[in-house]
Amino acid sequence: MMSIAIDSTTRQDSLYSDHHVGERRHAVYTFLLCIICSMPLQATATADGGNSADITNLKQRVDILEQRLQQLQGDTLDKKEHATEASNGLQPSQPPVKFGGALRFNYFLKDYDASLKKRRGDIGFDLFRVNADGNFGKLYLSAEYRFYTYMNTIHHGYVGYHINDRNDIEGGITQVPFGLLPYAAHNFWFGIPYYLGLSDDYDSGVKFHHHDHGWDWQLAFYKNAELGNAADLNRYSYDPVTTGAAANQESNTVNARAAYTFGKNSACANELGISGMTGRLFNTDTRANGDRWAAASHLDSHCGRWNVQLEMARYGYNPRNPAGVSDRTVMLGAFGATHDIAARGTVYVTNLAYNVPVPWEGVKLLTCYNDYSMLDKDFGFDTSYINTTGCLINIGPTYTYVDLIRGRNMVYLGNGSLADGGSGTWRTRFNVNFGIYW
Amino acid sequence: MFRFTHPNNGNRRNLWAASILLLAPLTASAEPSLTFVSWGGAYTRSQMLAFVQPFEKLHNMDINVLDYNGGLDELRRQSRSLNVKWDVIDMEPADALRGCREGLLLALDPKMLAASDGTSAADDFLPGSIQRCAIGTVVWSTVVAYDSDRFKHGLAPSTLHDFFDVKKFPGARGLRRTPKGNLEWALLSDGVKPGHVYPMLETEQGLTRAFSILDKLKPNIVWWDSGNQPPQLLKNRRVVMTSAYSGRIYNAMAENNPRLRMLWDHQIWNFDLLAIPKYSRHQQQALAFVRFATASPQLAEQARHIPYGPVRESALQRIDPALRRYLPTTPDNFRNAMQINAAWWSQHYKAINARFQQWLQRPVGVPRRLPH
Repeated sequence: MMSIAIDSTTRQDSLYSDHHVGERRHAVYTFLLCIICSMPLQATATADGGNSADITNLKQRVDILEQRLQQLQGDTLDKKEHATEASNGLQPSQPPVKFGGALRFNYFLKDYDASLKKRRGDIGFDLFRVNADGNFGKLYLSAEYRFYTYMNTIHHGYVGYHINDRNDIEGGITQVPFGLLPYAAHNFWFGIPYYLGLSDDYDSGVKFHHHDHGWDWQLAFYKNAELGNAADLNRYSYDPVTTGAAANQESNTVNARAAYTFGKNSACANELGISGMTGRLFNTDTRANGDRWAAASHLDSHCGRWNVQLEMARYGYNPRNPAGVSDRTVMLGAFGATHDIAARGTVYVTNLAYNVPVPWEGVKLLTCYNDYSMLDKDFGFDTSYINTTGCLINIGPTYTYVDLIRGRNMVYLGNGSLADGGSGTWRTRFNVNFGIYW
Repeated sequence: MFRFTHPNNGNRRNLWAASILLLAPLTASAEPSLTFVSWGGAYTRSQMLAFVQPFEKLHNMDINVLDYNGGLDELRRQSRSLNVKWDVIDMEPADALRGCREGLLLALDPKMLAASDGTSAADDFLPGSIQRCAIGTVVWSTVVAYDSDRFKHGLAPSTLHDFFDVKKFPGARGLRRTPKGNLEWALLSDGVKPGHVYPMLETEQGLTRAFSILDKLKPNIVWWDSGNQPPQLLKNRRVVMTSAYSGRIYNAMAENNPRLRMLWDHQIWNFDLLAIPKYSRHQQQALAFVRFATASPQLAEQARHIPYGPVRESALQRIDPALRRYLPTTPDNFRNAMQINAAWWSQHYKAINARFQQWLQRPVGVPRRLPH
């Protein structure tokens, strides 16, 4: 969200003017004058003639009121300074809930789809989404609902409470605090951690957030994945799902993430962090709880126009499958589809981005990047790779991702797999995602 | 129409007698003989103590002191309706110039300003602080401020160039969210001579040069909007250096942070003036007031209540040397000071600010959150 700077050509911020105080002073004058003027009426109502004693009393009252008036004038002068200080920091009032949204279209071309190549790609509706963000004093909320052609789903939705400047607590469907945040990629297509449910994942639970002097701590407990229905594939982020032969679902997960930023607010801010996750993996066939875990360390370095992101994450699933079902793979699902992943593996991320200075007035942002990630699987499964080179262009309210995505043994790129098997060939997808955001 | 009736005529007489008696003293004090308009807050307080209250005592009169936000709109309205309620106005130079040109202000004779030792006004006042229709009072200034605790071993910044040198002095910088002053500083730090700054800013190349210098600093900048923020930014260690109003830093030093320091190198200054509306109903009293308020003892007294520099050399001499070193107009501090060109900004602000706002919206670094 772009911030709107307000700058006045007047000098009220330097020489502390405030006409409201003057108004207040006039109000005091008026109030006292009214009291004084009303007094003769009251006095005459009780006087029966020859009441000079009353007039003397009234004069004394007037003296007292005049003294009070002078005192109030003095107070006003004192208050003026504080009032003007406060007015310097005033921001225009904003509605408690702001609504936003996006409309996106997508163009894609795949080198492994012969008919698509002959058509030179396809373009179509990608997404319509509605966002609501609200503040009610210390309470706040955020929600986003997405409409795709093949599914509608909630992206996130939570209520938060600002405990104080350093602590917040949120309940609902929140982003899981793990690894690089908010995303482990710059491009539209994301990297391997997303497809493992280890990045930009949203679950239902409670999250506590503490930030202080460069430290950022997040602790969360998630009862289950975002929808509370492991069989529902119409979800935004990847989780274990129960569909077909797959019967594992996540539950009672604890996430913790600690990060420290060296050089916060400086030209080179380097965030170093570690994350951990542990939780149950309930098998609906055996009615037994297995477990799952993950751990990651990351570096997110913003240095001038450069951004370097590094992450290494190790994860493991220990399902309690029925006899005869392999424990070496787990099925994840989202966007109405599923894919298998190796039950254990190590994922590596190396992303590099550069914010290009542009001379064109209309272009607010031109960020180019190369995002690389790989999954080194246990059990001797073939390694998966994805590398995306591209740029994000922001003109007015539009954001356009232009990505050249190359993957080897990567899901959604030909016959790739994040589990066993798949294709050892590099596949290429050219993707342009054009969105209007408001 | 309201008609007051009462069954008892005797009581009615009493009522009127009482009303007249009661209202008489009020009407006497509710009609001040002079109306002085200023900016309020600590600044007005310093004026009250330095010359408003002393003038009231000296002439046994009341002065009505009002606050305003600057500009000429209200004065124009009053002048158009031939109902000028203001008698003396504290103004910025650009408004005073414009008001004089528009015939809203009374032309003043600088002869009335001679110093008590006979020094002529021209020798005693800062150049430019005596305008045709307004007389300068105090100089206020934007300086670089830092916390000396953050710079050990004699490595503290000493010049404006150091403010822009993030390699030699890493860390965040505070700057006011405005192009005014920042563009001038950018060019000055890059070696442009003060006399060339505004002509250069009128060219595309000059503006681009200024913005490109700010570009290099941009990832380090923490923007502030109100004058009370810079001391806070330093106190909370959010910045290692910041632009700030000198008076604010002085106050912070006096109140709670004696480790703060000010760099006077290329301070950007401006001054305030007193002017009299052409159709003021109390011109003679207003002239006496302006003469009194701009006299050296009063300007020196004002500096004691707010650390802004008097525009008169003779006033500066009256100030305690311990305080004098914190004033913008002290010769050592004023050596390479640059006056902000208010008239130039009034002409170019709109266009340059539009470019500045657009520049602000463009992040230098890769945004931490991209839309997905």
